[in-house]
Amino acid sequence: MAARPGDKHSALLALTSSALLLPAYQAARADAPPQFMEMGVRYSKYKEDDTQGKKTFGGSSERYDIDAAQFHLLAPVADNWSVAVDVQWEDMSGASPWFVGESLDGSPKVIMSGASIADTRTEVSVTTRYYYDRGNVGLNYVHSDEDDYKSDAVAVDGAFNSADGMTTYSGAFSYSSDDIEPTQGSVPTNTLKADKDISSAWIGVSRIVSRNAIVRFGLSYTYRDGFLTDPYKFRDQRPDERKEWAISTGYRQFFMGPNGALQADYRYFDDDWGVASHTLNLAWHQNFGFSTQVIPFLRYYSQDKADFFANIADLDQRYFADDYRLSAFGAISGGLRVRHEIGNWAITAVGERYETDESWGVYSGEESPALVDYWRYSFGLDYIFR
Amino acid sequence: MAAIQFDHRFRAMGGPCRLRFDCEDDALASSVIAQVEAEIQRLEKKYSRYLPDSLTSQICDAAGYDPVAIDEETSALLGFAQTLWQESNGLFDLTAGVLRRAWNFKSGRLPEQSSIDALLPLVGWDRVIWDKTSIVLPLVGMEIDFGGCVKEYASDSAAAVLIRNGIERGLVDLAGDMAVVGVGSVAKPWPVGISHPRQQGAAVAHINLSEGGLASSGDYERCLLIDGRRYGHILNPSTGWPVQGLVAVSVAAPQCLVAGGSATIGMLQPEAEALSWLAELGLPWFAVDSDLNCHGVLAALP
Repeated sequence: MAARPGDKHSALLALTSSALLLPAYQAARADAPPQFMEMGVRYSKYKEDDTQGKKTFGGSSERYDIDAAQFHLLAPVADNWSVAVDVQWEDMSGASPWFVGESLDGSPKVIMSGASIADTRTEVSVTTRYYYDRGNVGLNYVHSDEDDYKSDAVAVDGAFNSADGMTTYSGAFSYSSDDIEPTQGSVPTNTLKADKDISSAWIGVSRIVSRNAIVRFGLSYTYRDGFLTDPYKFRDQRPDERKEWAISTGYRQFFMGPNGALQADYRYFDDDWGVASHTLNLAWHQNFGFSTQVIPFLRYYSQDKADFFANIADLDQRYFADDYRLSAFGAISGGLRVRHEIGNWAITAVGERYETDESWGVYSGEESPALVDYWRYSFGLDYIFR
Repeated sequence: MAAIQFDHRFRAMGGPCRLRFDCEDDALASSVIAQVEAEIQRLEKKYSRYLPDSLTSQICDAAGYDPVAIDEETSALLGFAQTLWQESNGLFDLTAGVLRRAWNFKSGRLPEQSSIDALLPLVGWDRVIWDKTSIVLPLVGMEIDFGGCVKEYASDSAAAVLIRNGIERGLVDLAGDMAVVGVGSVAKPWPVGISHPRQQGAAVAHINLSEGGLASSGDYERCLLIDGRRYGHILNPSTGWPVQGLVAVSVAAPQCLVAGGSATIGMLQPEAEALSWLAELGLPWFAVDSDLNCHGVLAALP
């Protein structure tokens, strides 16, 4: 008298859903604010490979370097509230592609922006979150400031758990107002002063399908309006409106034997500029005991070019960009993240390598000579006040 | 401040109980111990079939006559029992307890078939009429017994008391039905042994529990041994005889109640069906068959 065929996986769900209606589980299931204050610092280094000599005309071939320092504070406030403050300082230096020109043999080559651009960016983010029986709601404000760019953004997000605690519905809305005032000097700029607005909405659902597995699904829409042209790129001229949407799905399963979890995520992106992309993420979260976690990860990305992307401008076209970020390409990145806890301390280290190539993508198109490869390292230290 | 581990032993629900937890404050620890004991006593007083004033006794006494008013907790518990009945295709039956009148596990002898036959008409969960506010057992003599899930529920309920008091690491053990509180990834797990079905006091498997519940069911708890054959206390509600299935089943689950229900369904089915049901359930499990072979994910752990 086993359970009915095809019914076995639902047995656990049926038992759990009916058990969770009992009062003993009501309180334990409520979303709870963090119990203790947490503080963390992080240093990250992002270094782009120099553009290969054969792909540039003179100029500097050294590209971007970014040093970033982050500070994070999360504190419980009263019984149902928490406040988080995040501050980030970035120091950018190097050169970026100014434009792509045609060499004598007809192959496109990058002209870099010449002398090193140096800029610093400061970002302050404040989030307050309210926790209630069946979920939580957050309100976030971010201010970002750099020499040529200022941005203010607000976001609200919420999560709501189903009565059986197995399904979580979430949604978010954000609005950002950005001002652009390009630094004058090294290259002529496409504007002296401009602005843009970005509105974005997201809905998602995640469901616990067994004790060890969770699936999620999400849908997002972003609307950008205003000066979307790159102010520093020669002849760059983009539409003043961009509508983007993306669907994403993910699966995470824990395996008792190896004491690890597999995470697989996929995202499809499409917009009205003709850009479409696929992102596939794979990660393995390996636990060693209770204090060490090692996470190797691999990401594949493939993008179709924007309708108006070309290496060499066709002057009859209304819009044009030779920005490699709008070209068709494929990218593979892989890395390792390690986290180790000692008492109230936690150390995190991340190393990642990103490489890109026109031929790796599923879409074909003209290769941009400006495609970038980079290394990223990060080291963090967190402390929990308990 | 270093946390001290408190270890409190007491008796409740007819068995030895043990409460262990980490706490930095003596006064809080005493209060937690008192609250846990009170919560378990509350459930025992409410659901014990041995206490004449319990809700269970009231429902049994009113059998064949009047509906008895029930609260949300009881209707949810009945709902859980209903799910167990469905998922076990009728093998888990809250009304099967009446068969105990024929079985005396201390007597050393088997009951007459006639006395079992006389009781079988009083068994049948599908005949019970209940909703969110009341329950009625339709036949005089029918009984209801929460024994199959109330101890597991009490373990979870005691664990909820620990959580409400801010205890981050604790283990509630009600005679083998356990619920573990482990808040945060740094909580050290509890090493827990699963009793050997034939050797009292010996562990047949070990598991590290960092959170959730572990429940065990087996014929070693109460049984008759006649002509070398064991008659366990888990009865098939349609025959009235002990199930000749697995000897012992343990299941770990996020809730001790779900673990206990799953272990009981595992015990109620014939061996082969039980093993495949457990394997496909999706929870860590351990089982001992009648030849004393061990099965399940937890059997493979060192």
